[in-house]
Amino acid sequence: MTGRVSVDPELCIGSGDCVRLLPDAFMIDESLGVAVTLPPAAVADRALLLRARRSCPTQAIDVTDESGDQVRDEGTDR
Amino acid sequence: MSETGVLTTYTATIVFDRYEDIRAALFDAELSRTFDKRSYEDGNIRSGIVSVAHGSTHRARRRIENTQFRADVLRLYERELFPRVMDELLDVLLDADEVDLFPIGELLSVVLAARRAGIDHDAGAVDQLRTLVRHVDAFSQGSAILDAKDPDAVRALVRASYEEFEREFVRPSWARRAALLTRDASGEPNDDELPQDILTVLLRHRSGPALDLGDDGRIVREVATYLQGGTHTSAQTLVNAVDLMFGSPDAIAQLERAAADTLFAQRAVQETLRLRPTTPKMKRRAEQDTLVAGTAVPKDALVVLDVVSANRDPRLFGERPGEFDPDRAVDAGVNRWGLSFGAGPHQCPGRSVGGGFPVPGTFQVDDDHVYGLVALELQAVARRGVRPDPTRSPERDTRTERFTRWSHYPVRFERRRPTGGE
Repeated sequence: MTGRVSVDPELCIGSGDCVRLLPDAFMIDESLGVAVTLPPAAVADRALLLRARRSCPTQAIDVTDESGDQVRDEGTDR
Repeated sequence: MSETGVLTTYTATIVFDRYEDIRAALFDAELSRTFDKRSYEDGNIRSGIVSVAHGSTHRARRRIENTQFRADVLRLYERELFPRVMDELLDVLLDADEVDLFPIGELLSVVLAARRAGIDHDAGAVDQLRTLVRHVDAFSQGSAILDAKDPDAVRALVRASYEEFEREFVRPSWARRAALLTRDASGEPNDDELPQDILTVLLRHRSGPALDLGDDGRIVREVATYLQGGTHTSAQTLVNAVDLMFGSPDAIAQLERAAADTLFAQRAVQETLRLRPTTPKMKRRAEQDTLVAGTAVPKDALVVLDVVSANRDPRLFGERPGEFDPDRAVDAGVNRWGLSFGAGPHQCPGRSVGGGFPVPGTFQVDDDHVYGLVALELQAVARRGVRPDPTRSPERDTRTERFTRWSHYPVRFERRRPTGGE
């Protein structure tokens, strides 16, 4: 996908679920104990990004499209 | 709220039993796990622990404690530390043809839970491990106090256990780590490596105001929480997995598959967690009026989350969701264990320790996969030929309303040394 992926450092608790799902897109900054995004996040697989967002225990991950709108879940919720 | 600070009457009782509704409730910031607002000194045995902490304090604690649940730490535990410890312990504990599986599960699990919590111990000293398990049993009753049949008796038991646990286990471990941290901070060389565990990170960071760890007792109770969480659920899940396999029409075939195939053993554990959650009905109270999945929840309402029902949703888990089927197909994005580890900020931090990483629908995993300690325990007892004991019946834990908890589970083993394997 092309758009913007971000992690709110105030909300993140460093669970690492996003890193497990997308190790090229997220990493834990051990000095802060929170996840941060890596440049490949912007082009990462959309389904995995949305799963990472859904699995985040504090809803700290934000995924927006090129126009700045929230990308909606497709298929993980039934 | 009563005058004593313990919430005993509610403005309403609202039950959610649908998967997505429960998930929404678990993410709702107005629904809290705090039913007792007293201090520890005034009688609240769970005061200040991470399980009931809120907001910035909760997030700050979890940030430092989650460092002990990183993937590389999990792999170290389950590949290098646990298999050897487990085999050595089983060689000692299987001292008769007929044994009780539940305490064996507790003893296996408490070794690594103690290590992760930061309790120094001798993994080969079974009597010491049994003492730790006795404390775990008390702490487990404390964590389930909302479902206790005699809450006052539980409070007295837990307070006495905390005192002994602090004196006999935490203080010696604390002193060793404090000395190492002092030397580390001053740049002096350390003969002993600084341990990687919960107690060490709490002591290292305790001055951080957001952590709210100024009181020594909170650190003791936090360490106890991780010891209990890492032991009790694993032991109960092991017994429930064996029980579900024994009850299957193809029990022997399933046990043989678990002995030979670690990923099957893991799927069996995750299926067990789905069908037999350690907390079948999670409870929350509304701190403020809120709206959950379209339902208005008034302040001071009791919210009951029926995880057992949600975990049997056929839309998520297919036909016959009440059956034990480790091979069931589950879509990506749905955890095979359902909501048994919770969701949201208070999701169980040790879920990957016990249950491992999610299993993909292809049943193909890479070399980095984490299977979880309970899968290894299940495989170990399957390789020793665990079978039902036809002469004695299992006993459920009658001290709690939680139906998934056992106190005794007699089994026999066809052999005391393992056979089979991948």
